[in-house]
Amino acid sequence: MTDWPETELTDVERFRALAAGVPGAAVTERVLTAEPDQVKAMLADLTIFAEIQADLVSATVLERDGDRVVVLAKGRRGQRARLTGQFRPGWCWLQSRFLIIGMAVAAEPGGGTRVALTGGIRVPGRAAIVPIRVRQESAKTLQRLERLLRA
Amino acid sequence: MTQPQMIEERLVRAAQRGDTVAMNELLDGLTPYVGKICGPIALGDGPDAAQEALIAIFRGLHGLENPAALFGWARAIAVREAVRVARRGQRQQPAELAELPAADDPQLLVDVQDVLRRLSPEHRAVLVLRDLEGLDEQAAAAVLDVPPGTAKSRLHRARASFRKAWRS
Repeated sequence: MTDWPETELTDVERFRALAAGVPGAAVTERVLTAEPDQVKAMLADLTIFAEIQADLVSATVLERDGDRVVVLAKGRRGQRARLTGQFRPGWCWLQSRFLIIGMAVAAEPGGGTRVALTGGIRVPGRAAIVPIRVRQESAKTLQRLERLLRA
Repeated sequence: MTQPQMIEERLVRAAQRGDTVAMNELLDGLTPYVGKICGPIALGDGPDAAQEALIAIFRGLHGLENPAALFGWARAIAVREAVRVARRGQRQQPAELAELPAADDPQLLVDVQDVLRRLSPEHRAVLVLRDLEGLDEQAAAAVLDVPPGTAKSRLHRARASFRKAWRS
């Protein structure tokens, strides 16, 4: 038999599944009016990526192998984090010992772009996020992203 | 039979220990495979089924005792979720049933999607396990949690409906 129908998932659908395996990683989603390519291009710029995150002042790629990266992130209170993971247009999953940052982007049927975020303080060494202000911080990040897209 | 991408056991163990980057790697490896299982069973509800299956996989990953069994374990979850989601959204009645062609019968080369739509999710599941995944009757029955005789009769009925559709 041939031509079995296959199912493909968007990055946002995949993101929900990954976050489901990380206790505390509440996912906040919003549909933006901007086109997916515009949103992806903006979030692929680490300077902008750091600018919209609540506690970051900068993020610099230290190493890159395809879409696998090592990123040095600096926080507002002088803290530093060496994040490893995957960073490509429309997808980000980074972790350090004390931090997890996740983001996914997908075209929304009918128009616009769905953006999904999670992240926060990682329970050290574990697949878990301290469940404090995860949704609030993600909502603020999305607000900053919307402002930048309108600018 | 589908050939799932190889995933090293050490990656599974790292994910089970709490390495979320390793979980992300697993997601890359598992997503196409789960999509291949869920698509023919859940059809239009395939994305919902695949997402639900992956959620169940990542929530239950720490409980997987043998990392080498990852794909078999994921397959069972994907089939279960695809049948559940398809039943939830089911709008089609199963086809009327006729006789049995073999798995490699050229008459099966019909419009697969059209015929699949006329089958129940349970019949689609046994077709996927036997004809797409290449499991034997015992293994397919174990995944579906039904007696081997039930799996066998479902397969016969599913294949028969392909022949019937081809004739019509």
